[in-house]
Amino acid sequence: MASPAELPPIHQTAAELPEEEGSQWRPAVGWREFGVAVAIVGFVTLIALALRPYLAATNLAMVYLLGVVAVATRCSRRASVMASFLSVAAFDFFCVPPYYTFQVAESEYLITFVAMLVVALVISAQTSRIRAQAVHAVDRESRTKALYRLSRRLSTTTRVFDAALAAAEVASEVFGAPVTIFLPEDGRISFRKRTSDQLLISTAEEKIAQGVFDHGRKAGKGMKSFPEAAATYVPLKGATRIVGVMAILPGQGGETLHEDQQHLLDLFTNQTAVAIERTQSQNAAADARMQMETEEMRSSLLSAVSHDLRTPLASITGAASTLRSQGEKLAPEVRGELLESISEEALRLSRLVGNLLDMTRLESGMELRRDLYPLEEIVGAALQRMEPQLAGREVTASVPEDLPLVNVDDVLLGQVLVNLLENAAKYSLPGSAIEIAATATPAAVQLDVRDRGRGFAEGEEKRLFEKFYRGKSEGVRGAGLGLAICRAILTAHRGSIEALHREGGGAIFRIRLPLDGRP
Amino acid sequence: MKPLVLMIEDDPQIRRFLRATLAAEDYQFHEALTAEEGIAQAAARQPDLVLLDLGLPDRDGLEVIRGIRQWSQMPIVVLSARGQEKDKIAALDLGADDYVAKPFAVGELLARIRAALRRAAPVAADGADTVIRFGDVHADFEKRIITVGREEVHLTPNEYRLLQVLIKHAGRVVTHRQLLNEVWGPQHTEQSQYLRVYVAQLRRKLERDPARPRHLQTEPGVGYRLTLDS
Repeated sequence: MASPAELPPIHQTAAELPEEEGSQWRPAVGWREFGVAVAIVGFVTLIALALRPYLAATNLAMVYLLGVVAVATRCSRRASVMASFLSVAAFDFFCVPPYYTFQVAESEYLITFVAMLVVALVISAQTSRIRAQAVHAVDRESRTKALYRLSRRLSTTTRVFDAALAAAEVASEVFGAPVTIFLPEDGRISFRKRTSDQLLISTAEEKIAQGVFDHGRKAGKGMKSFPEAAATYVPLKGATRIVGVMAILPGQGGETLHEDQQHLLDLFTNQTAVAIERTQSQNAAADARMQMETEEMRSSLLSAVSHDLRTPLASITGAASTLRSQGEKLAPEVRGELLESISEEALRLSRLVGNLLDMTRLESGMELRRDLYPLEEIVGAALQRMEPQLAGREVTASVPEDLPLVNVDDVLLGQVLVNLLENAAKYSLPGSAIEIAATATPAAVQLDVRDRGRGFAEGEEKRLFEKFYRGKSEGVRGAGLGLAICRAILTAHRGSIEALHREGGGAIFRIRLPLDGRP
Repeated sequence: MKPLVLMIEDDPQIRRFLRATLAAEDYQFHEALTAEEGIAQAAARQPDLVLLDLGLPDRDGLEVIRGIRQWSQMPIVVLSARGQEKDKIAALDLGADDYVAKPFAVGELLARIRAALRRAAPVAADGADTVIRFGDVHADFEKRIITVGREEVHLTPNEYRLLQVLIKHAGRVVTHRQLLNEVWGPQHTEQSQYLRVYVAQLRRKLERDPARPRHLQTEPGVGYRLTLDS
């Protein structure tokens, strides 16, 4: 008898179905089955021979019927029909007197033969139908599972390539064969845009894949066109166009996909194509939205910047032309004041342009040049750069000696400090104190910049960091970019920045830099 | 003899103000408008110092440095834009002496020019350079004694080497790579975080407030500069 492992899994319920069930290439009906049938009939004959002295011949026929049932539950219909005829013959030969001939002594046995044959054939037919239904149910179950798995994977992807990658992965598992999806670029299949290197196809087959993409018909192994190809190529047909080609390299044995799998493959490619198409249109919508936002940003930037650029330019032009036309007549101290304002306004202009450039660079995804730095050094460099603007103030910096090194882009983090110090100087009275204080927690380094200025209004905490937002205080000029830049830089460092009210008046800007679990 | 400065700069407004500044400070000067002309003038006039703009119309300013350094060690001070640390480092590593970021104040430019000229001046034979003072620091390299105020401070061998190198280049920026190379040797030029830790230690020993250094200054993204007078 064949071992149960080699038999079709009819006793398995769907629940205990292994995940990779669908991936088995169904074994072809072989001669082995007929062997099994003959063996069972032979075994039954031995039992019948043993029982022959004790039972009437008609009852021995029942034993043979049991044998047919056994064959029908295990083997194909053809094998059990053969077993039916074989059983009748064996019954005649071994159990009906005279023994060991096909002759029959009493003609009433003919009725026994006919009845036995009919019953055996009916059993065969019914049993194999039930079994076919069971197999079908299992198939349907695994197919549904595979499709569900595919749709679940596809629903979480937001990029076309990821969708293709997910589909190829699931298909590869389900069909038990290497699967690659090729995506088009500029109307042609691009063999660089492939989901895996499992299946490298030859130049000749690239042409087949391109043909499949162009005409939308399957080709390759097991198909009408190009059956000699190594792989099967299936177009991914979306609602409006073909979005790619799926290539499957069937098993090493050279089997092709059988009908059920073909059907499943169609469902697969369909679902994948729809998902890719959906992703493409979503991306297009997102692009359009971003375009709009960029436009909006550009116009608000223009209005904010044009004012901030013109004001210092106007004072520079005014002061310079005054000096040129009336220089001789002006008192020396007036001349000095005008010169002072030219240089101050020019510096302001320079800072504004610098901020705009920084913002643009940060928004276009600037690359961080991170390394480990003592925070003290970055604070020191920022204070040095800000020295002219901080003149006459008491500025204290407390950075503990044992503060861990921070993993940052020193130039950018320095810019954050410069912007915060500039704000502190701008929004507080000349001569008032500014404090910088750093502390460490196990997970982060925290840095405060504290001033004794006017602070900011209740409810402004978040808005302060928006682009072009200016605090509700009069008499202070600026483009509203400084804090937005700080936030962008800290976000790029996966850190944070917040604004707090300071007890006793003033503002605290608090930076947090994560320590990434380093010592 | 007035020092001769060659300015290689294409922008007429910047040339105009450089001219005024240099004349007021008693320098002689020549002008070149392109990289090509700059290299030729440097060879023909043998200036005491070159002021070089990196953004020239015909060729990259870095090529001028490379060209001049093939045959001369004359001081080169680079004019560059803020935010282009990569260019600054490239220029310094190619052999430029220092840089000034645009827009700059005249005082800063003149300080850089003076420091670069000092480097090129022949060293006094009497060995006066073995004792250096800045702020409260008194460094005697002959006796190997460093004191801050009245107290002697003990430097580790690496800190001592680092201070020596910085003093050798006093007033001028030194890139991370140059410092690592001179203190630790050419095989350690990528390990700038060690350098930063040593600089921090040196500051703690020499500076009054290490978070606001007066002398051992950081040039973010580029390197360090030891300023003697402040």
